[in-house]
Amino acid sequence: MITMYHYLFLGLVLFVIGMIGAVVSRHVIKMLISIEFILTGVNINFITFGTFCDGIKFDGYIMSLFYVAVGAVELAVALYIFYLMYHKNKSENVEDYGDL
Amino acid sequence: MNGLTNPIVFYPACVVMILFALMTINFKNIFYSLISAIIVFFLAGMFFYVLGSEYNAIAQVLIYGIAVPVILGLSIMFTENKAKPEKNTEKGFNFKYFMYLVGGVFVLAIIYIVMTSNVVVPDGFNLTGCICQNPHSILSAFGEGIFLKYIWAFEIVAIILTIIVAGLTLFKKGGKS
Amino acid sequence: MTDIILNNIYIILLLPLWVFLIIMLGRFFSVYVNKSIIYVLTLGASILGAILSGVGLYSLNSDKILETSFPFIKINHFIIECGLHVDKISLIFALVLFVVSFFVQLFSISYMKDEKKNYRFFALLNLFNFTMAGLFFSPNLFQTYFFWELVGVISYLLIGFEYKNPVKSLASKKVFIINRIGDTAFVAGIIMCSYFMFSYSNNINFTTLSYVDMNAISTLIYAYTSTPAFWGICLLFIIAALVKSAQVPFYTWLQDAMEAKLPVSALLHSATMVALGVFIILRLIPLFMLESGILKLIAVFGILTAFICSLCAASQNHPKKVLAYSTSAQLGLMFFALGALNIKAAVAFFVAHAVIKSMLFLTLPRENEKWSYVNFTAFLIGGLALSGMLLSGVASKELIFTSCKSGLSITAFSIISFLTAFYIFRIALKIASEGLEKVQPRVIELLAIIGLFIANILLYVYLWKYTSYKVAEPFWAALTAWVCTYILFIKNAFWKVPVLYPLTYNGFYLDNFYTNKITKIYEKCCQILGKFDSKVLTNYKPTVFVAKTGVRVTKWVETNIMNGAVLLVQKFSNFLSKLDLRLQSGNIQKYNAYAFIIITIIISLLLITYTTILLNLGVGGE
Repeated sequence: MITMYHYLFLGLVLFVIGMIGAVVSRHVIKMLISIEFILTGVNINFITFGTFCDGIKFDGYIMSLFYVAVGAVELAVALYIFYLMYHKNKSENVEDYGDL
Repeated sequence: MNGLTNPIVFYPACVVMILFALMTINFKNIFYSLISAIIVFFLAGMFFYVLGSEYNAIAQVLIYGIAVPVILGLSIMFTENKAKPEKNTEKGFNFKYFMYLVGGVFVLAIIYIVMTSNVVVPDGFNLTGCICQNPHSILSAFGEGIFLKYIWAFEIVAIILTIIVAGLTLFKKGGKS
Repeated sequence: MTDIILNNIYIILLLPLWVFLIIMLGRFFSVYVNKSIIYVLTLGASILGAILSGVGLYSLNSDKILETSFPFIKINHFIIECGLHVDKISLIFALVLFVVSFFVQLFSISYMKDEKKNYRFFALLNLFNFTMAGLFFSPNLFQTYFFWELVGVISYLLIGFEYKNPVKSLASKKVFIINRIGDTAFVAGIIMCSYFMFSYSNNINFTTLSYVDMNAISTLIYAYTSTPAFWGICLLFIIAALVKSAQVPFYTWLQDAMEAKLPVSALLHSATMVALGVFIILRLIPLFMLESGILKLIAVFGILTAFICSLCAASQNHPKKVLAYSTSAQLGLMFFALGALNIKAAVAFFVAHAVIKSMLFLTLPRENEKWSYVNFTAFLIGGLALSGMLLSGVASKELIFTSCKSGLSITAFSIISFLTAFYIFRIALKIASEGLEKVQPRVIELLAIIGLFIANILLYVYLWKYTSYKVAEPFWAALTAWVCTYILFIKNAFWKVPVLYPLTYNGFYLDNFYTNKITKIYEKCCQILGKFDSKVLTNYKPTVFVAKTGVRVTKWVETNIMNGAVLLVQKFSNFLSKLDLRLQSGNIQKYNAYAFIIITIIISLLLITYTTILLNLGVGGE
């Protein structure tokens, strides 16, 4: 029997893996993918709550839809920034970007 | 026992998803990690479907499963730089495994919080069982949510998308001149 | 409508405070340069306060008390509350305060026109209004004490407005220090009351010393204290009232307060600062009523002050000093009426005195200017009213006279009336003999005086309509005095009585006693202690030994321990800065990682502490 907590746990694990990946990885694209993992984990949480706790309005579903849209936008902006940095430094390694 | 509460559906999919997520951040080759990320996104879409939100599942698969990886793959192809060898990580203290440890502690702490919290359950809050879903009611709820209740949020997201597109074009022009 | 005003009476209190803040902040940040905004705001706050308190007074039923309070400080069971207490007395006092201060502010617009930084003056006037109103509306003794202190501070600021003038700043300091005696007595009384309530009373509400429960509190204090202790408490409160109202042993500060600007004197000596003594005795009447000797004491102090200060005023040559002594004397009459439990008469006379005295002050000319005919006429009218022969003066004085029961008090009261009329007419004749001149009257100042005169007439109409009085000895005594003085003046025969004149001219040498003798005694004490130090202690061997050992020990500690500590601090900061350098690498990923790690650590620690607490309490364990 699978309860709500299992799905929440799945979302949590995906979130933590995304967090670790965003911190550890050296490649910019990998970092971006990790950030998408974080968003997906949060989305799973939203939809779980929407399914188990809210049978009438489904606010969680709508919210996760917005999340998907905003995540795509964020990815577009990040990719453009990556493009500019790549032109400047000729490298995709994050450590080369580290001068504030 | 339907798809939502069936362990035969849940556990294998869950294990595969976590494994591929870990592989994504551990592959040295960026293309392999991209492919495993696609699998993770597809599995997330499957979970959405199982949870009863078909619309979200379609959006997830279309955007994260297909569109985003295509863009990422294109950018990888354009920026692939094989001349530079990958740098060695720091000696001695391995930062990566330390982060794994921290993440594990974090997960344990959150699980502990969830399990020991005795929240007062409000009306209509169903912790274990599933709710009988009527596709028609979900659709009407979506319509009501997007076009009545969250109309402003919807508009704002639309405006942000427009601004992003316009802004990217302007950036491009400014970079050239 | 009237209910709305009564329920929102706190607006009276807050308006002047807002105006003060607006003026000070606005001028501080140079938001506006136009001074007419300041004038409009100040006058508006005062007139609104007067109207609101007047309407409230009209619509409040006679015995009703509106009270709201909430805990301000809470230490276990000891609670200090603050809030509002609205009854007839507080509304009357507030009404008088705002009417007088409105006209005084109107006057000072013209008077302070050429002064530098006069916005500060107006701001302080508004703050003063706020503190006075807050005191009148305060629901318990603690809040009263709070505003009582504030009144002291702001009067210090107002009297020392020209703080660059050494004489004036010294005078303001002296006023402040003498007022501190009363403050100390007041707080001591409050502490004793609170202590008795806290130790003996079962009812926790009584420990807040609220005025609503004053009857019960007084009865309890009377029941649980021995007679000397009860007398001590009452005497402390009486001393506070005596100091603030410039009564017999402490009347010297009022003459020093004369160094202030004219509007300040008009405000301080009529409706505000000196009124506090009367007000506090009115509030604590239930306490004093239990012992008839205390009431008699208050009456004796009052009549003594009236007599002595009238005598002093009769020999002064400067109108401001005469008015200052006369303030003390009139307040003495109020104390006399309070001691005789003639509360209506005391309040009526307080109102009448406030209006008359502020009018008298406003007629005085500036320094280095001569009297004009208009001002002199107004001064004469005010003097007639003050001596109990005209308008509200006659009504209220006869009301006070009804509290005289014995022949002795009737005689004393008649003598005081005679002296009052004598000194006021004497100084008026003196002014007239020095010569008057025709000056173009300043319209705004004249308007203020006329306004106060109209208030005087209105009060007289009210008293004439609602109280019954009949003309008796004081009126005739005053009339005799005016006639006698005029005859003496025509014959040019003002005697300087050999002993009495210098004595009264110097205010019975009380001021000299305070400044010379008491400071000398203090210096003597210091010298004796110094001699004890230098002669005895230095020759006593154990002391020297202890001192030398102490020096050695401190030296050793300094060389061995303190230097090491300083070095440790230095090294530690060096280490920290190196750590800091690593933190500032500019790598965003690192920052993210640190944030994540720190959040995890915090959550885990919280969980661990929470679980241990639960286990220790026996809740979490099965």
